[in-house]
This record gives sequence, C-alpha cells and structure tokens, in this order.
Amino acid sequence: MGEVSNKAITSEISPGIIDFRENSKIKFTLYEDGIFETECFPDTVMTYEDGLESTRITSEILGKIPKPLLCDLSNVISMSKECRKHFAGEDHAKTFTKCALIVTKPIGKMIGNFFLGLNKPLKPTRIFLDRKKAIEWLKESD
Amino acid sequence: MNCIAQNIMSKDERLSQILEMIERIAALDLDHKLPVSKNNDRLDAISLGLNMLSEELKDNTVEKEQLDKTNKKLEQFAYSTAHDLKSPLNSLSGLVYLLANTVSEENSDAQDIIVKIASTVDKMKNLVHGILEYSVVADPTELKSEVNLKEIVNEIIETDRYEDNITIRVDHFEKKIEFNRTILLRILRNLISNAVKYCDKPNCEIKIKVTEKENKAVISVIDNGPGIPFDEKDKIFELFHKYDPEGTHESQGIGLATVKNLLQSTGEDIWVESKEGKGSNFYFTIGVNDNIK
Repeated sequence: MGEVSNKAITSEISPGIIDFRENSKIKFTLYEDGIFETECFPDTVMTYEDGLESTRITSEILGKIPKPLLCDLSNVISMSKECRKHFAGEDHAKTFTKCALIVTKPIGKMIGNFFLGLNKPLKPTRIFLDRKKAIEWLKESD
Repeated sequence: MNCIAQNIMSKDERLSQILEMIERIAALDLDHKLPVSKNNDRLDAISLGLNMLSEELKDNTVEKEQLDKTNKKLEQFAYSTAHDLKSPLNSLSGLVYLLANTVSEENSDAQDIIVKIASTVDKMKNLVHGILEYSVVADPTELKSEVNLKEIVNEIIETDRYEDNITIRVDHFEKKIEFNRTILLRILRNLISNAVKYCDKPNCEIKIKVTEKENKAVISVIDNGPGIPFDEKDKIFELFHKYDPEGTHESQGIGLATVKNLLQSTGEDIWVESKEGKGSNFYFTIGVNDNIK
C-alpha cells in the first residue's frame, strides 16, 4: 500500500449509481436498487482507523437511512481485530440492515469466517462466494 | 519479513513456520506472528488465521487474568464485610434474647415481633457464616495425610446429630487415601447435609463410595432424594444460586459453591449426575494416583 489518505473523493457517477466515492483503500458505491457496496483496492490492510473512516463516509452517503451492504473482501489481506469488532458492533448495525460478505480468495474467506464466528456481528451477515447470490439475498427482505 | 523473502520461501519452509507457530500457541507464547504474503494463497490464509487466533487467545488470557484478580478482590471484600458483620450480629442476637426476657409474655404482639426479629437475625448469621465458609479456601501449605472416610463420616454424624431415619453407608475401599482432612470433612459435611435437607423419602439413604478413574480417586455421595433437573446441574454450584422448586427449604445458596471452591483451590473437581425422582450422585476427585497406595 502507498501513502494512506482517508479523504473521500467523489468521482463521476455512472448510470444505475446514485453515489460513488473512494478513499485510498475503499470504493463506496450506492446503487439505485438500494444496495450499498464497498470494495477494497488490491492488498488492503484494514486497521481500526480505516474501519471508523469507512463508517463515517458511509454515513455521509446514506444519511440516517440504513441500507443492505455488499462487502467484497476479496482484496483484503489483513484486518485488525479492533476493525472487525467495529464492523460487528452497534454503529455498523445502525448503518446497514444486513451484510453479504463476498469472499473469493483464501484470506478473505478466513477473515469472513473469523468475523462471523468470533465477532458475531449484530446485523444479519452471511458469506457468499457468488456475487449474484449475495445480491439476491440482500434484496430478499427489502 | 518482507514480501520478496516470503515469495522465495519454499512450501516446506512455510509449513515448518506454521508448525512452529502452532507449537508456540500451544505453549501460550502468543507474541509471535507469521508472515503473510500478498500471494493470497491457502498457506497465507492459514498463517493469517493462526495470527488472528493467537491474538484473540492472548486477549482472552489477559481478560481472564484481570477477571480472576477482580474476583479475588471481590471475595476478599465479601470476606471482610462478613467478618465485620459477625460481631454486631452476635450483639444483636444477645440483645434480642434480653428483649424477649424483658417484654411480658402476655404481650403476645411484641413477643411475635421479637420471634420474627430473632429469626431474621439467625438468617443473617447463617448468611454471614456461609460467606465466611466460602471465602476460607484451602491452605495449600497444609499437608495431606492419610484419611479414613468412615471415621470422618462418623464424626459428621455425631456432631450434626442426624435422626434415626437417616442411613449413611460408607463402602469399604482397600487403598489408602491421602488428602487434607479438614477440607474433606467440610466437603462431606456439606454434601451429606444437603442430601439430608432435601430428602423427600421417609427413609433417607446416603451411600459414599470411592473408585479410581484416570489417576484420581473419585468419591461419590449418592442419595435417594428428589434429584436435580438437567439444566440445574451446573447452576447449583454457583454462589447464591438456590434450587428449591417447592420453596420449603432454608438455603443461602452457598454450600455447594463452597464445596466447589474448596475442591478447585486444591486442583480438584466436582460434578453431579442425577435423574429427577431418582436421587443424585455427587462425584468429586481427590488426589492423584500417588496418593492411593
């Protein structure tokens, strides 16, 4: 990873997308169908501060209306326990109605399983290998 | 370790590192971290998983140490509070006795109130006594000696003066048992008095047996009482937990917690097997095989 800057940048918005921002580690996208997606850049190391900043940017985009979260862990190579704890906690549960974790690589799968097993997130959370199935589940109760 | 070094490491070398990490975790050396490369392969996932497990285990170990310290302080506080309450309660008890003798017997309202005060003071004294009993754990420096179960049980029967409908039988055990006699007496007194107190049959039968299991002497105290429901099996050993569905027995919820505390302070264990309506079997371990000759 290069120099870390958490300042969010709003990029040009494509069709089907309501809002898009990115910082040095994560891309944040709010789609017209109500799904909010976070995707990390390659080889991302997530710290507690990154977790807090991610929630702050998300809250800025969503306001006070919680949305279903599609979180792609494929590019994450490490996530601190404090960060996992934050994502499992109350602040995150207030921001999102449910969370689908996409794990396509071994490390992401390991982090996802730790998150579900040890951190026990407050919001409904499931692990998916397939993006399409994840989106279907996120839309189920919406 | 940097990424290039990690990339040129052979699979065997990485597996050796992983094995070493597992050995370290087993030895509770939890400060070590395995390198995780950006290859994002299965060995990287295993390495990261072990790093995370080690970190979580370290946190839990530290947390447990802190909890143990806090519990110790709370127990000391409970002991000193109970100890300080003992003397004023004894004075109060004496004053109630004097009051009962001062107030005219014809004044039945006042006498009733005095009886209620005396009963409440007795309950408080029992509670204080129970907390003191619970707090005084085994002295590890006290030497073990050969103990005779029959002799200990006879001492309990004589001191506690059980009625004729109570039978306590101690099975013969050929080998010699060595344990702290004072602790064993306290444990057996608690278990026997519980069996007597909760017995719901016309004749209360208690049997004490010793067996050997996994290098331990296992003493069982078997009764023909009402038994204990499955979901109460662990709870009954918790401090201040009372299991008395009929609400007819005087209990502070301290006795079995004291027994467990005493056994755990000497590195031993207690558990119960029971079927509702068919009595209970309390097992506790004492000593290791060296103590059974």
